[in-house]
Amino acid sequence: MRIGIPRALLYYNYYPLWHSFFEELGHQVVTSSITSKAVLDSGVMSCVDDACLPIKLFHGHVVNLIGKVDAIFIPRLVSICPEEYICPKFIGLPEMIKSSIKGLSDLIVLNYNAHRNLKDAHRAYIELGKMIGAKPSQAVRALQKAAASQQVYDSLLKEGQTPLDMLNGHQGAREGEGKGVIGLIGHPYLLYDEFISMGLISKLRARGYAVLVPENIAQPQIEMACAELPKKLFWSYGKKLLGSGLTMLKDRRVDGVIFLSSFGCGIDAFIVELLQRYNHRLYQIPSALITVDEHSGQAGFNTRLEAFIDMIEWRDGREGYISAHGASLFGH
Amino acid sequence: MKVTFPHMGQAYLAIKGMLDDLGIEVVIPPPITERTLEIGTKLSPEMACLPLKINIGNYIESVEKGADTIIIAGSCGPCRFGYYGVVQKEILKDLGYDVDMIIFDPPDSDYRAFIERIRKLAGKNSWVNIAQAFKRASIIVKEADEMLDIALRKRAREVNKGDTDSRLYRFEREVWGKYGSQEILETIRKYKGILSQVEEKPRVSPLKIGLVGEIYTLVEPYVNLHIEKKLGYLGVEVYRSITLHEWVKVHLSLDVKHRMRHKRILRKAAPYLNLCVGGHAWQTIANSIYYSECGLDGVIQIMPFGCMPEIVAESILPKVYQDYGTPIMTLVVDEMTGEAGYFTRLEAFVDLLEQKRRSKADEYKESLFRG
Repeated sequence: MRIGIPRALLYYNYYPLWHSFFEELGHQVVTSSITSKAVLDSGVMSCVDDACLPIKLFHGHVVNLIGKVDAIFIPRLVSICPEEYICPKFIGLPEMIKSSIKGLSDLIVLNYNAHRNLKDAHRAYIELGKMIGAKPSQAVRALQKAAASQQVYDSLLKEGQTPLDMLNGHQGAREGEGKGVIGLIGHPYLLYDEFISMGLISKLRARGYAVLVPENIAQPQIEMACAELPKKLFWSYGKKLLGSGLTMLKDRRVDGVIFLSSFGCGIDAFIVELLQRYNHRLYQIPSALITVDEHSGQAGFNTRLEAFIDMIEWRDGREGYISAHGASLFGH
Repeated sequence: MKVTFPHMGQAYLAIKGMLDDLGIEVVIPPPITERTLEIGTKLSPEMACLPLKINIGNYIESVEKGADTIIIAGSCGPCRFGYYGVVQKEILKDLGYDVDMIIFDPPDSDYRAFIERIRKLAGKNSWVNIAQAFKRASIIVKEADEMLDIALRKRAREVNKGDTDSRLYRFEREVWGKYGSQEILETIRKYKGILSQVEEKPRVSPLKIGLVGEIYTLVEPYVNLHIEKKLGYLGVEVYRSITLHEWVKVHLSLDVKHRMRHKRILRKAAPYLNLCVGGHAWQTIANSIYYSECGLDGVIQIMPFGCMPEIVAESILPKVYQDYGTPIMTLVVDEMTGEAGYFTRLEAFVDLLEQKRRSKADEYKESLFRG
């Protein structure tokens, strides 16, 4: 059977796991094409107007798979960690797809929920195996192999690569190389989708900066940074962004931080707000918030990026300079 | 300690009653006005949902009146409401307001913290006192909602337009000066009687519209631009799926019978959505189906812009309409909502329902002639 995986949302977090799981069970995996204007437009057309960009994009990728595959894989990740959630829209994703897109082929829905119990959460994969005709024992074996390749992927990320490097098979500058480091805080489905992020990572690298992404920060550090919050943060990915952002700022590992958010993202609205406030109060590292949606244009995006980098460079060169009476920077 | 809290429809009656009974000084936030919204919009994150912005406006207007402690409820996700307290605290802190914030999270996660917070608020009151005050507050919620239900019925049928609302207005003026749950309750009861005496037109069968959606926008009339009133003036009888009383009964009381009924209605949504996605999205789907089955003429979903759970419901509702045939309209409100466009949509929707009803009646008459 040919199983289609939409190249959107959590694809960038889990594709090694999902790919090898289906392949171990003897199915062919087809990934939807790389995001383009056409893919995004078809998503915007089929989705409700009020949804955020990533959800619309996911619709687009599902539409892209129609006719190419026998079944489309839709992950419903309610929770990936006990007592935590992801985003309400991720929970209702299969229902949204079912009611918005017409002419769908079969859907294979993964119902993963570790909210109460992490130990039994893997049963979701056994159920998933059943849907495509695999015995539980086969599914467990496939899951073990898949989990192993996911682990390799995760450990490479922690070494400082971005998911995009792994997908494209080449590496960028690491921390410590180049002019400096820019921290990027954003959901993986924005940062690593080159169409949506308008090549943010490669543009920064072209200017001679290395990037540090949330995937590079170790989980214990994230937990430690979030432990200082007055209330436990109940969004796993929100926690990841906030925790990794705070770690980057606190350890002064970055020369500047760029928040990449999508218009209408409910979680970012809070996370970015908190991060900006903490940064302003405690660390004062240059930061910029770039919000993208389906109408974003390259020109404005590039201008803001250039202005931000210029600002960092000027700051490095001149911030320490306090003019003595009567003197100035330019020697007049 | 001068305690304040954010507005949410009639909730201020119950909270004031309860705090009065416990001997705690209360500052009721001034009624929500354009100024409240303006303050909130200016100080809150742009992408935050509307309730958070209005809360901020409420806090600041209360602080101006001397409040120094804010109480607010909490939850543990996945809806953003659960993190309101933390974000709002940071906003107020950066503004330099020296206020204390007591966040009441549901006790199932951390009992001790919950009890500590009640102690902090209630001071020397005995637990019996606290329990009694709480009970009386829930009675206020119940009776206030019953009063509003009478108003919903009367508005669609009143002989003199505006009769109902002028009485409700008098109620609000009068109850503002009351002290303690007893006095508040007496006022509510008195006005329940007064409202029941509104003269009704004989033999009218008004259009019936059910309201579903996000709880804050449903309960707070300023935010939904007084949709109940507006529909009432158009001669529509409004049914509310989510009220404060309903919320109290499901979340805070031990009323098993009501919980069973609640579950039974939720089960209706199973073919469309069979799990909680946060907020009231599940209830939105279930109640839309329930209203369709009850034979209501139409359903209106209201939500604040960017409400994560309700967006899920919004995308599923067209399917409910396909299967049940009851028209459903979605209204999204935020600080930019213009009154004129909003009312035009309401009027158009009501027109559509009227035509639908008329054509149904015509068909019925024709079938009689033929038959």
